Amino acid sequence: MADDGSTGSTEDAALDDVLAAEHAAVWGYGVVGAALPPEGRGPAADGERAHRDSRDRLAELLDERDADPVPAGAGYELPFPVLSAADAAALAVVLEEGVSAAWVALLDAAADAEVRQLAVDSLGAAEERAVAWRTAAGRTPVTTALPGLPD
Amino acid sequence: MSASPAPAGFPRRRLLAGSAGLALLLAGCTSGGSGQAAQEAGNREARAQEDRLAAQVPVQEAVVAAYGAVGVADAAVGESVAALAGQAQEQLDRLRAAAPGATASSSSAPPGPPAGGDLRAWLRDQVGAAAAAHAAACVEVSGAAAALLGSLAAGLRGHVAALA
Repeated sequence: MADDGSTGSTEDAALDDVLAAEHAAVWGYGVVGAALPPEGRGPAADGERAHRDSRDRLAELLDERDADPVPAGAGYELPFPVLSAADAAALAVVLEEGVSAAWVALLDAAADAEVRQLAVDSLGAAEERAVAWRTAAGRTPVTTALPGLPD
Repeated sequence: MSASPAPAGFPRRRLLAGSAGLALLLAGCTSGGSGQAAQEAGNREARAQEDRLAAQVPVQEAVVAAYGAVGVADAAVGESVAALAGQAQEQLDRLRAAAPGATASSSSAPPGPPAGGDLRAWLRDQVGAAAAAHAAACVEVSGAAAALLGSLAAGLRGHVAALA
């Protein structure tokens, strides 16, 4: 963690990275939901809602700090074609694991205990969703030992 | 996705070095006025962080012990949670590596699962309590220690979800 007076900017940069990941997740969940049958879209809608909430909270935090929140990208490229329910679940896993990595990076950078609380709560929620999506995607194991942490 | 949710600039080496090497920060002060004072303050903080990590080792040992106890109580249930048990051990190894001063606890094993009870429910309670403890400790530390404890807490929340 920086201790040279740049702690705030380091934390803000990490907050912005999480916000960018959340923008991507909100967009990605739209793809996930569209690839699922209507009766199976509930978890996708829940995930999208959770990421919208996180996105809005992060943008608010950055606004309070007079930092410019990163806007959503004009477009995103899918990591693989999403043509089935299994593809959709696999994409949701990618989204949740991506935001998990960003939340862990924020934990590493955060000087503010309230920010760490937000990060650890959000990281845990992301892993819970990831477990459900890994199950839906037929992955084993459905859990990871250290979500978001580099190997 | 190209505008990837993965943080491209994430300082992997710094995090790894930090979590595995908090103890290294404790080694030797160099000379030099205010620089020395700052270094001593940094060393104190590093020691405090390592102490906080070490305090979580018995919590994680109890998780590993709980998985083991379930395997003893019912081999079939133990087999069904073998992957989770392996991950719990991996988490403990990572935590011990980050807090090399921690000593194995002789009292970290929780009371065994209730005879005839729901083993998975009992395990869920044990793991959930440990996840909450790691999450609370995560908020109290910073840097690599916070990243590690936060990840541990999330991993165990995933276990709770998988055990449901």
